[in-house]
Amino acid sequence: MANTLEIKHLVKSFGDLEVIKDVSLTANQGDVICIIGSSGSGKSTLLRCINLLETPNSGEVWVNGELIKMGQDKKGQPCPTNHQQVDRIRTKLAMVFQSFNLWSHMTVLQNVIEAPVHVQKINKIEATKLGLELLTKVGITEKADQYPSNLSGGQQQRVAIARALAVKPDILLFDEPTSSLDPELVGEVLKVMKSLAEEGRTMIVVTHEMGFAKEVASKVIFLHQGRIEEQGSPSEIFNSPKSERLKQFLASNLEG
Amino acid sequence: MDFLSFLAFDDTGWGDEMLAGMFITLLVSVSAMAIGLVFSVFGTMAKLSHSVIIRSFGNTYTTVIRGIPELLVIYLFFFGFNNALMAAAKSLFDYHEYFEFPVFLTAAIAVGLVSGAYSTEVIRGSFLAVPKGQVEAAKSVGMSKFQIFHRVLIPQVLRYALPGLGNVWQLTLKDTALISVMAIAEIMRTAQIAAGNTKEPFVFYIFAALLYLTLTTVSSKALNSAESWANKGVRRA
Amino acid sequence: MSSYYQMCEGLPGRESWLNFNLMCEKLPDLLKGVPLTIELVSISLLAGLFLALGIAMMRLSDNRLLNGFARGYVFYFRGSPLLVQVFLLYYGLGQFEFVQQSFLWPFLREAYWCGILALTLNTGAYTAEIIRGGLQSVPYGQIESARAMGMSGLLLYRRIIFPIAFRQALPAYGNEMILMVKGTSLVSIITLMEITGIAKQIIAKYWTPVEIFLIAGLLYLVLNFLVTQLVKYLEIKFTPYLQHPK
Repeated sequence: MANTLEIKHLVKSFGDLEVIKDVSLTANQGDVICIIGSSGSGKSTLLRCINLLETPNSGEVWVNGELIKMGQDKKGQPCPTNHQQVDRIRTKLAMVFQSFNLWSHMTVLQNVIEAPVHVQKINKIEATKLGLELLTKVGITEKADQYPSNLSGGQQQRVAIARALAVKPDILLFDEPTSSLDPELVGEVLKVMKSLAEEGRTMIVVTHEMGFAKEVASKVIFLHQGRIEEQGSPSEIFNSPKSERLKQFLASNLEG
Repeated sequence: MDFLSFLAFDDTGWGDEMLAGMFITLLVSVSAMAIGLVFSVFGTMAKLSHSVIIRSFGNTYTTVIRGIPELLVIYLFFFGFNNALMAAAKSLFDYHEYFEFPVFLTAAIAVGLVSGAYSTEVIRGSFLAVPKGQVEAAKSVGMSKFQIFHRVLIPQVLRYALPGLGNVWQLTLKDTALISVMAIAEIMRTAQIAAGNTKEPFVFYIFAALLYLTLTTVSSKALNSAESWANKGVRRA
Repeated sequence: MSSYYQMCEGLPGRESWLNFNLMCEKLPDLLKGVPLTIELVSISLLAGLFLALGIAMMRLSDNRLLNGFARGYVFYFRGSPLLVQVFLLYYGLGQFEFVQQSFLWPFLREAYWCGILALTLNTGAYTAEIIRGGLQSVPYGQIESARAMGMSGLLLYRRIIFPIAFRQALPAYGNEMILMVKGTSLVSIITLMEITGIAKQIIAKYWTPVEIFLIAGLLYLVLNFLVTQLVKYLEIKFTPYLQHPK
């Protein structure tokens, strides 16, 4: 069986600054991979390269055994060559953002059914049914007709998760989903994410929540200055870290 | 046909007249802006007043003047201001002689009335933009009402108001083209006369447009540097 | 109608502080200017909106030539008075032989079409900047999340960018509409008999500036009130999320 996601020798730089230096990783069906690391380690960039919000300078991204085709534009910048392919693959790789990025002009339900109806061309009645189911799942049905601006951060992020689920993705990408939430709202979002992991969904999570990584991850990757410094099971990473940098990182991030 | 000869700086060309017109435009604009700022001080005070009646006066001023074409206001002053002044002189000072109020000032007051309505909105907005906490902080260190106004409010209001007042200035500058209907020899009026005399309207109206563009461009450059001067020490997001 | 004028007869005239009799009698004359004012505003706003879309797109394009043209266009029309633009079209173009020979001459010699053209070109420049501002104010994160959901190209513009930009630009466009209502008064100088044109005619004839100013001004205020209400209605309809939460 083909791996759900495979990244080979990925390199990404912004100008002269090399942010990702030769990173490879594989996610199989049902894996929950948590990427940790201090800010500036390139973990968000890595995630954004996976769904081509940033185009890698070199390396390969395989989704469900399909290679995403990349080339260069007129200015010599890397860019995907087949935009239809990118759009199609992106619905297989739904993303949840740090700042939610819900569409402010649409209600909660409209946000959730937008991509199913307009990208995947699913019948609107069916999409609405699915949308309401997903809102129930993230525990926010009663807000279906509200606008994002009337919701708390935690509620907005749960809607964003429902929106990501609505395209029936094979992989869920989470980019620091709790970092812009007030501490008391973090729990409700992590709870939803945990229940998704328990359903056996494939997830790649960039996070600062060590507790979540410890409890839920099948694999933890520690990224340092654009390289994978160390990877392994949560117990390997958290209980017996080998590299000095990981030890330092854990020491400063686990207290409290 | 030699276009440039029409714009020569001698008795045959209109270059000197047009430049003089530009000077008049600038003079009316500055006067109107200044008169407008005086109006706007009263307008702002009225709009921020606690009295409902005074507030409604302020609101009427800005709503009505900003909702009516400038040209109509200019006609009102052109045809009516002198008579109104004479009537006022008669009833207030028992002065019965005929007199003529300078048409230049009439124009400046008319444009100033319009300019002031826009300035009022800008300055009122700037007052409201000063965070309440700053006034409270000033009170808490024992500053008097006047000190708060003079030391805390005014400097900040001016900084907030500067970009908006810059826009009002540009608006005022362009509005003065309308006083050409009062036969004041500013840019437009001079261009009209020159166009009529030479039968070259295109040259003179293009030249007029260029003069206005010069004025608006130079002032926007000046306003930008004024803004960056006023914002020194203020961090930009 | 004659009963209307009879009613006006009963109002205080010259002897009063305001000549109410004259105001009442001249109201129907001024009202005759309203349709032309509305016509000028609607045609030029509509045409100007399409023009502005084109200019804004050029302004945002990477093509230097298009971008430069759009920049120059906006610079010229926003930096010089509307009156110059009206005169340039109406008097300036007519002096050229080739303009008089061209198929456009039947239009360009009419004050009506020159007026509409000048107003259109003018509002096109201001509106282009409003559209550009609206497009640039769309939060990047919302565009990015749409991309991440597989939206791109026209779909992305149609469903996400334009709706958000439109809502952001609405208040500024409302102001522009009011400026245009006022702007139509300038074409009275090139002989068009809209509200201001008729007002000036009456003022010059009866020398009653205050009275006529009051009625004409009132008509403009009513028009602008209607514009404001329209914009308010659109805001409530299209930006429920900016209204006070339930």
